Amino acid sequence: KDQLFVINEMCEMRNCSKCIYLEAKKKQDLYMWLSNVPRGPSAKFLVENLHTMSELKMTGNCLKGSRPLLSFDQEFDKEAHWSLIKELLIQTFSTPNHHPKSQPFFDHVYTFSIADNRIWFRNYQILEEDGSLAEIGPRFVLNPIRIFEGSFGGPTLFQNPHYVSPNDLRHLMRKRGAQKYMSRIQAKKSLEMRRGQPSYETDPTDDVFVTIRPEDAEEDS
Amino acid sequence: MDLDESFSSESSVDSDEELQEAFAAGKLRPGLNLELPASSKTINNTAGLNQTLLTIKKNLPWLERLDVTSKPATTHKDLISQSETDVHDDFKRELRFYCQAQATVLEVIPRLHSMSIPTKRPEDFFAQMAKSDDHMKRVREKLVEKQTAIERSEKAKKLRELRKYGKKVQIEVIQKRQKEKKEMLDAVKKYRKGQKDKLDFLENLPGEKKNSQNKKSADNLRPNKKREFKNKKFGFGGQKKRSKMNTKSSALDMSEFNPNINQKKPGKTGKGKPKPGNKNKRPGKARRQKAKSRKK
Repeated sequence: KDQLFVINEMCEMRNCSKCIYLEAKKKQDLYMWLSNVPRGPSAKFLVENLHTMSELKMTGNCLKGSRPLLSFDQEFDKEAHWSLIKELLIQTFSTPNHHPKSQPFFDHVYTFSIADNRIWFRNYQILEEDGSLAEIGPRFVLNPIRIFEGSFGGPTLFQNPHYVSPNDLRHLMRKRGAQKYMSRIQAKKSLEMRRGQPSYETDPTDDVFVTIRPEDAEEDS
Repeated sequence: MDLDESFSSESSVDSDEELQEAFAAGKLRPGLNLELPASSKTINNTAGLNQTLLTIKKNLPWLERLDVTSKPATTHKDLISQSETDVHDDFKRELRFYCQAQATVLEVIPRLHSMSIPTKRPEDFFAQMAKSDDHMKRVREKLVEKQTAIERSEKAKKLRELRKYGKKVQIEVIQKRQKEKKEMLDAVKKYRKGQKDKLDFLENLPGEKKNSQNKKSADNLRPNKKREFKNKKFGFGGQKKRSKMNTKSSALDMSEFNPNINQKKPGKTGKGKPKPGNKNKRPGKARRQKAKSRKK
């Protein structure tokens, strides 16, 4: 956590106002920090379902440096934390007009949608002006963890109640396997207890030569 | 001591009576219930969030931000149902995102055009693309591969169908021929027995075509080339390769020796001396050459 403050200083040196910081933990989980560097809010996300641009099923292509169109779901306006995240996303991902490294034409659109309390990101190339699109670039899902008031730290403004950390998830999965075994043992034990003692001794061979009278047979059928 | 006792009795959370009460109230479901850590740490400081939002909000003109909030477009409305948004239905979910992007595009492009900003990249504008040409080549190859695989499977399916159809047609043709043969024989029989006095059934025979068209000529009925070769090599008594070579017994065999042919001097029944008049029959060299030049 000490290291995160260093990022603030680095950004100040480079004159950046926004920062996306990706950190990978345990070579399994990827976290993304989205921050407004001087003293603005920051948000931490867990990145899930990541598919990179080099997958051969993503057939689109766009100019490197062309300004993206940003498309947001209507759900972003319904809650305060989503609105804040939306504002952060807009300020981070939109390229200023006439930026020296930007290309003039508009050929791709970023889509941010909310589903299952997560943000789904897609990047499409605009093939025709009538709306036919081809998917370019990476696709991922952001699961918000916390929103902080300061940059990479500070008091928490929002904590996601639906968020389960990947460690906890793995723990639960492992425990579920154990639970299966334990519950089977317990079920067996309880059956033993419930079975009760036989009240008198019976001979199982008594049933062998029983003849049912015809009247009784008709009742049964 | 008393405090300790009461403390210990309170700390047993899952005592049987409490569980039974909870089950009766419908809070528990059957099965083994896992105790998740109580999430009492949900912080939702709405006021703080709104405050921060106001502080960071920049009122830039739309052209700087290019952000749009849009509902999914209505092109595929029948396929998306707005109410149920099951995250695990991949197709519907992706379709929803696609339609949302489409709606944005359809909204933004006219807006940019009204601001007289060019949106479409002209054909001769070459700049660095996000994905390299090499990568795009591989993508195209993959697409072509998929296409050819589909076509191949289609062809195979068609062939299978054709074979079935061909078999059906063959059976039909055979049956037709058998029927015609039967009819012909019946007609002949009737004629012989005197029931039919006209011979019209002989006029329109189905097999009357030109011979060239009829593939069943003698030439075509010869066996395969391969078959012929094998017959020559192995048929009618074996190899003929070395049949003309001498063996010991055949060299000593004198049964085909005719002394009249091989031991008598020539002359008795031969040509004899050429007559002196023969030379006259052929003109000399000079005469021949003159004739040659005159011919030309």
